[in-house]
Amino acid sequence: MTDDPVGSDPMTTDVGRLAAVEAKLRQLLAEVTGRPDLRKIPVDTPLFGGGAGLDSLSGTLLLRQVQRLFGVDVAAEDLNLDSLESLSTLAAFISARSGSDSR
Amino acid sequence: MTTDADVAPQPGNAVIKCVVWDIDNTLLDGVYLEWAGEPPPADPVLAGVLRELGDRGILQALASRNPFEAAEYVRAVTGAEFASVECGWGSKAEAISRIAADLDIPADTIAFVDDDMVERAEVAAELPDVLVLTPEDAAEAADWPQFSPAVITAEARRRGELYAERRRRQAAASAFGGSRDDFLRQAGTRITISPAQLGDVPRLHELSVRTHQLNSGGQPMTEAELSGLLESPDHEVATLRMADDFGDDGLVGAAILARNGAVRAAAPPATKTLASITVPLIMMSCRALGRGALDALLTWTCRAAAAAGASELAVPCLVTDRNVPMRLALAAAGLRAAPGSVAADGRAVFARSLVGDLPELPGWVTVEGTR
Repeated sequence: MTDDPVGSDPMTTDVGRLAAVEAKLRQLLAEVTGRPDLRKIPVDTPLFGGGAGLDSLSGTLLLRQVQRLFGVDVAAEDLNLDSLESLSTLAAFISARSGSDSR
Repeated sequence: MTTDADVAPQPGNAVIKCVVWDIDNTLLDGVYLEWAGEPPPADPVLAGVLRELGDRGILQALASRNPFEAAEYVRAVTGAEFASVECGWGSKAEAISRIAADLDIPADTIAFVDDDMVERAEVAAELPDVLVLTPEDAAEAADWPQFSPAVITAEARRRGELYAERRRRQAAASAFGGSRDDFLRQAGTRITISPAQLGDVPRLHELSVRTHQLNSGGQPMTEAELSGLLESPDHEVATLRMADDFGDDGLVGAAILARNGAVRAAAPPATKTLASITVPLIMMSCRALGRGALDALLTWTCRAAAAAGASELAVPCLVTDRNVPMRLALAAAGLRAAPGSVAADGRAVFARSLVGDLPELPGWVTVEGTR
């Protein structure tokens, strides 16, 4: 972001895109877990374990949908899948790698 | 590579888990919709093949350009249980992809039988990993090695039934709407972790061959290798059995623990060393996917390794796009690999510290006399 030319307004664009990715991820998370209540969780809720209860099945479904919708193969790029810590880490991971067409 | 499937079937070495059958002029001796009154009878030879393969634990599925009633009719006249059914006017390749997703099996474990050359060519072109067969090929398929699992275990013989139970469980789970753990509790889930016995060896071998999504090692183990580990004082082989109100899945998973060096289960806490315990293989049937079984086995493995005096658990895991579910479970259990540490053999070592508080096993898990 720091190498963006002076005079452009990258923050607005990036923040807007991040919010859009987060909104889509909430919807996907609710779908793959079958839990509509997850649409409302805070962005920093842990996805694994007691947080959103993501497991190997729902996690795989989520990553498949992410690849289909955003063209980002998270499993191939993130050995430890640390990007799945929370909605906000996953959204940041995805927006850093997708949407180059909007630049 | 040719897309003409009629040259010859290309029998690979993969063990076939599911045969997807066409109906018209394949399983039926005629075309279902062309018979005004009574639909055509079952092809007697292929009906026999259906039964034989079913008894070997190979699943059957239907992909047909017919109304859904045709599938019910085929079930009635062949007496076979179909694990997945696709009836409609769309492409057969898409139907097979949906069946693969529904049953959670890779394309190279699927065979497709159709009398129509065009359908066969389309599937061969779209899904090159699928074994494409004519009905004449299929009549002989029972003699081919990829349709002949070396050992037919009790779990394998019940496989068709188990998938029917799975369908009912999934319908209940998607209607449930609460958390996974609440559903597992409500469904009466019972998991038992116990030391492997010699009688478990054929099933353990079968799991090592058949599991991919939830398999850390990525290499089948022979019965001799497994028996050797059962007798080795430096290894512990733990099995996981699973049942709930929908059915009993039997032995669905296992973990092999290797003690590195001096650590022994009998060591009193005072002699705790900094040694680690390695898990050369952890594997789980995809039937248990989404039902907390792998999470329970990893939690138990951490606790057992800590109880044996180890301060670290290490799981070397093949990193492929097929076993992403295994990597998700490792991440959820707190194991991490050094970034960029995938070795030339495709493996990375995922590890976690066992010092401090470890996760507890859920109430539906029973642990029996592991040493």
